[in-house]
Amino acid sequence: MTRWSPQQVEAIAPSPAALSAARPLTTVTRWAGLGADDRAVWGTCRGSGAEPYDTMVDHVGVASRCTCPSRRHPCKHVLALLLLWSAGDVAETTAPDQVVAWLASRQVSDTRKVPDATPGLLPTDTTPTSGTSDSDQVTDGAPEPVPLPLPEPDRDRARDERVERMHAGLTELDRWLDDRMRTGLADPALAKYATWDDLAARLVDAQAGSLANRIRRLAGLVGASPDWHSEVLAELGLLHLLAQAGRRLGSLPGPLADAVATSVGWQVRQADVLAGVPDTDTWVVAGRSDTREDRIEVRRHWLRGVTSQRWALLLSFAAYRQSLDTSLSVGTAIAADLHRYPGPALRALLGARHGDLIEPARPPAVDIVSACNEIGMLIAAEPWLDRVPFTATATIAVDGSRFVLTDAGGTLPLIAAGRSLATLLAVAAGEPIDVTCEWTPHGVVPLTVHLDGGSLDIGPRADESFVSAA
Amino acid sequence: MTDLTSDNAETRTEATIDLRASWDALVAVAMLGTDRRNPPEPIGVIADVVDDTVRATPSERMLAQVAATVVVRRAGVLPGPSRPPIAGPETDDRPICAPVAADSWHHVISSWPVLEDEWMLTLLTNGWRVPPDLVPEILVRHRADPIRRARAELACGPLAGWLVGHLPELAPRGAANTRPDPSADDIAELPSLPIPPELELLLFADGDQVARQLSVALDSGTLAHAHRAVLVNLVARMRSDSLGPVATALESVDGASIGFALASVLADLARTRQRMLDELSVAR
Repeated sequence: MTRWSPQQVEAIAPSPAALSAARPLTTVTRWAGLGADDRAVWGTCRGSGAEPYDTMVDHVGVASRCTCPSRRHPCKHVLALLLLWSAGDVAETTAPDQVVAWLASRQVSDTRKVPDATPGLLPTDTTPTSGTSDSDQVTDGAPEPVPLPLPEPDRDRARDERVERMHAGLTELDRWLDDRMRTGLADPALAKYATWDDLAARLVDAQAGSLANRIRRLAGLVGASPDWHSEVLAELGLLHLLAQAGRRLGSLPGPLADAVATSVGWQVRQADVLAGVPDTDTWVVAGRSDTREDRIEVRRHWLRGVTSQRWALLLSFAAYRQSLDTSLSVGTAIAADLHRYPGPALRALLGARHGDLIEPARPPAVDIVSACNEIGMLIAAEPWLDRVPFTATATIAVDGSRFVLTDAGGTLPLIAAGRSLATLLAVAAGEPIDVTCEWTPHGVVPLTVHLDGGSLDIGPRADESFVSAA
Repeated sequence: MTDLTSDNAETRTEATIDLRASWDALVAVAMLGTDRRNPPEPIGVIADVVDDTVRATPSERMLAQVAATVVVRRAGVLPGPSRPPIAGPETDDRPICAPVAADSWHHVISSWPVLEDEWMLTLLTNGWRVPPDLVPEILVRHRADPIRRARAELACGPLAGWLVGHLPELAPRGAANTRPDPSADDIAELPSLPIPPELELLLFADGDQVARQLSVALDSGTLAHAHRAVLVNLVARMRSDSLGPVATALESVDGASIGFALASVLADLARTRQRMLDELSVAR
């Protein structure tokens, strides 16, 4: 085994400061489980956090992994481990299981390059961006950054590194989730935003931007309602599901693998989506809703195919002082090509239009039980969805302290307030109405009331002082 | 596996209760953490999922159980028990005003709020009622002024009181809540607007005379931007049959004259008021 020289270690440091930060850790007493063989060097460093950091370096393939939250690569723990090894302070021994597994996963990614089950999901060089609850990337409506053309071997290597980073990030996420289960939701650390933000930052580094966004939204749930423990636990369960599925992309059925990859944060280029087979139909613009996600306003337009009866979701995004898409009006229809994202996802891009807007138009409505069945089927296909559209015929009722949609088959709780709820009540006035809603785990959000003469858009609307959203 | 989407009420209820109890137990353990308490025994289909995987530690078993339970609960979304719909408001026999009139109300409140009292009063006088979707916005807009609130409630009909009963945030506030109800005469009278005596004569003059005087004064600069507020009041209160000729005359003011911009603004006000009165006067 040929050890690296200290100069070689210094050469891979991202900055002199990183090397300086590593020096205090180059004492054996700070480490446990140190070991090295002819392929790797590993150890567990007791850092400032409550949990020690597992660090391992492939000194042949020149790659490293550390469970610390640092966004620098390589981090100070990796550098310290290599300095210890180069100084001869790390004994040769047999690699533990986790190091063997890590090296094996690197080998798999070397040979497989990209998961077989994700054709079309080519990673791009775009920075992981703020995805949405539908596991989307904020790229619609904005020019995609054009990566510099790389030679084929470089491109493959860059892609492999991204696959590896994502895999490592998902493993780390699952470990973090496991810690949450062990220590419990009453752990005061959960009330600190840094607990979540550090993990989110690491997931961004791991190219899992959509999961990072879920984590940041999750942080906002802590303490936000009397029932927050239940809501947070449910989200942790879904994150575990995605982390597990994301690490098994190669063994999942194709469409499911695509859906998981997209939901984890794998970037899909618009050009690739638009190159797909279009879903041509007359699309009724059934509803619209705006939500603020971090510093981005997200507008969802829910479309329903007149012939196919399938739902589709168009997204637009606006940062401060930018404009959301205003080209689609609720209660109209348009003959157009939609290009769907890979997998069973509802999300699509609008392609060629084949005519003018048709108005008025309304989607077909079902009863409450059928609406639940429709919702259930969409969630069964993608359990991590947190918004699902439906159109139902129902009246308004009161159940305890909240308003509900009701018919003879049952009720669905409404989440509405202010102008939206008042308009819904005033228009219904105790009579059945057709209403398009978004199902969420917390209740249904009314978006559109469909009347004989047209439709009323009552969905949540963006703050006009933040973006232009008329 | 229990069919959670079955129409069989008994099966659905049992499944719901089992899942809810199972979830509550998971939340209780999650609060304390698996270092202190073991996860509950999984039930039914959840047990199959958890048993199918190799789970070495209680925390891993817990995570698997939580994930499976969430998915089953969400994919098996069930409606709650049916509830009686809320009773509607008393019937209002008056017809709803035309959609263009409702659109004009939006234009009026955003561009010419000086006309809103007249819009509401004309609607009432001509036997129309406000479209239901406009009612919340009108109630929110007129919460404090007792006369305007009373006028709005009349224009909205029984729906207004019914809506306030369900949504107390729409109830009147301040003076509208504390002062005695205004009289019918107060409600039926347009509030007076300050107009100087030299312009007051024009309120009742015929259209051609008003048009001539205004266009000459604006053309020559005798009436200028400093007079804008009182001129707006004049156009908002002049005889309605004068509006057409006045608007035409104002639109004809020389584009190079000093009063052109003000004339254009007043012409828009005159046209808006004329259109508003036409829309609300349409015979039923």
